[in-house]
Amino acid sequence: MKILLVDDELPKLEALIATLESNGFECVAAKNMTEGVKALHQHEVSVVVTDVMMEPGPSFCHVDANECGFHFIEHIQQNWPRLPIVCLSVIADQAKIRLLAKRRVRYLRKGETPLSTAVEVITAVAEGRMVRPRY
Amino acid sequence: METQTNAGDPKGDLERLRSENEKLRRELEETRRDSTRYLQNVAHQLTAPLNAIKWNIEAIKDEKIPIPRKKNLLSSIYSQGTILVHLIKNFSLMSNLEADHELGQFRDMPERVSPLRLAINLAGDFEPQAAETGKKIEVGIPSLDRVFGNKALLVVKNLVAQALSNLLENAIKYSDTGTTITVTAATGTQGQTTYSGISVVNTGLPILRSEVKTLADRGFRGNAARQKIPAGTGIGLYIANRIMELHEGLIQIKPNGTETRITLFFPDSRVVDPIRSDEE
Repeated sequence: MKILLVDDELPKLEALIATLESNGFECVAAKNMTEGVKALHQHEVSVVVTDVMMEPGPSFCHVDANECGFHFIEHIQQNWPRLPIVCLSVIADQAKIRLLAKRRVRYLRKGETPLSTAVEVITAVAEGRMVRPRY
Repeated sequence: METQTNAGDPKGDLERLRSENEKLRRELEETRRDSTRYLQNVAHQLTAPLNAIKWNIEAIKDEKIPIPRKKNLLSSIYSQGTILVHLIKNFSLMSNLEADHELGQFRDMPERVSPLRLAINLAGDFEPQAAETGKKIEVGIPSLDRVFGNKALLVVKNLVAQALSNLLENAIKYSDTGTTITVTAATGTQGQTTYSGISVVNTGLPILRSEVKTLADRGFRGNAARQKIPAGTGIGLYIANRIMELHEGLIQIKPNGTETRITLFFPDSRVVDPIRSDEE
């Protein structure tokens, strides 16, 4: 089972990747939205884990880096509507967190949610044991 | 009895005062918003490496993760620790520097520092951070030898080390993967003063010529930098500039397409004979 992780600071996700891989997942990493979309065309993944603030990359250079994750989520939901998404970020704005829930995207606080919990949630979403949150 | 009227226009004056008051209120509101954004940003910058360390420790405790992987996690903890120490030093330095500027004097005594040794030591400190993102750091020893010879810089060592660290940190952040960051030497003149300096040269994110003047302002981040790495404090170059001002030096930012050369220039009055071993 493959998991796509999209984050501009991939070294900070090394612990998550190592734990997911030790649990039998194959992780595909992308450092911006352009690479993320490319990876989705190349790999069949069970879940996408994405940050919000990140570089959009050359194919989406018009996208604001501060909101890039939201554009990525919208792009995935338009083109791969059945693919579950987990947002792994640190968001202070409650309105943005509500927007994620509205888009039925599960939100985990990067680094603050215990690693074991993050791994459990991502695993459950990938295996289809956890349905998308309802708004 | 006739009432004396004001020679001016009281209604007009009142209107002017009201509009001035409104303008000041808007400015205050904007300053408050900037300050909140800045503090949120600072909080994020401090918590992100700490959170990464926490996750790495949690993963290291996991028996299923193989040892070579754990070694990588330990290296990452070291890198995040370096980033954190560097950030905290910058924040505390910023307040000290403001005070030093007002007093026009240093908190610590300037000492003789070998530019070559400083460059080699700092390049070594930042090497793991650079390697983590697929970059290298090289010290241009012949160039430093040519410009400084066996001369020393009469500077506050910790401050200049911090200024050079800030340049290296930016270079690592904004250079392309697979490139080499070079620490080298440079000379220049401004007016009657000649300068010798230490440059950090990197290839990656282009700096617009229009941004050069404001790049060392507090909190300013270039457009391309914000797009590539949305999170950042924008105080690295500001601090480096303040440190150079305290040393009667200057900071020069020279973009050339994707190559950026940033130089810490010291006036030749600060390039001195090294301390002799019998004086130490």
